[in-house]
Amino acid sequence: MARHKKIQTEEQEDPEMNISSMIDCCFLLLIYFLVATSLVSEKKLDISIPSSQQSASSKKPPVDPGRIVISGDGSVTWNGDISVGEAYNPDLEPGTDEYRSQRELDQLVEQLTTHRELAESAQAEPIVMLVGAGSTPHQRIVDVMAALAKAGIHSVGISTAEADGN
Amino acid sequence: MGKKNARANDEVKGDVNMSPMIDCCFLLLIFFVVNATAITVSKDPSVKMPSAVSCSELKDANGCIVVNVFADAEKMDVKALEKYNKNFPAGTLYGVSDVNGNNVGYNAGQLQDLTDFIKKQKELMKSRNIEEGMIRLYLRGDMAAPWERSAAAIRSAAAAGVNNIVFGTLPSK
Repeated sequence: MARHKKIQTEEQEDPEMNISSMIDCCFLLLIYFLVATSLVSEKKLDISIPSSQQSASSKKPPVDPGRIVISGDGSVTWNGDISVGEAYNPDLEPGTDEYRSQRELDQLVEQLTTHRELAESAQAEPIVMLVGAGSTPHQRIVDVMAALAKAGIHSVGISTAEADGN
Repeated sequence: MGKKNARANDEVKGDVNMSPMIDCCFLLLIFFVVNATAITVSKDPSVKMPSAVSCSELKDANGCIVVNVFADAEKMDVKALEKYNKNFPAGTLYGVSDVNGNNVGYNAGQLQDLTDFIKKQKELMKSRNIEEGMIRLYLRGDMAAPWERSAAAIRSAAAAGVNNIVFGTLPSK
């Protein structure tokens, strides 16, 4: 009887918690968050629109603000007469050369880079006016914004009126 | 003989100390949890995002006032339309999430309400000590939405005193 009691108390002295299930949960959560954070693929394009306070800034106003006009079909013109982008075709297959040349607007990037360099040499901030027709798809505007970001211009004036002919 | 038996019993009881591994695991878990919440902006699944050739990573969603701009119902796919109809009344052009996380929609005639919403959000962020330069309009425009719709949202933000605009995009394929 006495021997039996002793064995029981020895067993009770060493209580162990089974933590393997907790580790399982922990790893699962870890993998979930690892995957979830890398899946957040949304990116951004920053621009700032001129505000009323900017007129009081110490920098000189640019000599001639650039002007991009996007018509309803998505074709892009620079400073009134230079065509820098064809009409937008949403049905082009991604990955093809045609798609890339339509979306990347290389000629516009070139013009914008020249404009930025000119403004910088005159120690002024490069400013561009973006005039988009109301019916232009948002995607085409984002293409032009991407070209602006590529050329290093982040200050853009936005208008919809004139391209519509209103 | 008896001694040998005792030694064999000792060797069987060799345990790996799991606590440092669990510590590391928890640290990593907390790191990813914090990271995941920092870059989360409320995303509306009804908006089909445009893609951009040169875009940068959204590192900090703090100070972002998210406005979703919807395309016309006939340009949405079935799944997107289903969610749009569930969350918003027909004719809604702009979708936002209020302080409690509820979806609020505005139609073309409610641009003043959108301006008021952005103003309110701006004040709220200011009271949370977010710098004014960090308060931005995060415009999640549908790729098929007409530009006049997005431009109206930008004008509303400008009227509310928010001049920094972030265009939500996806990386180009």
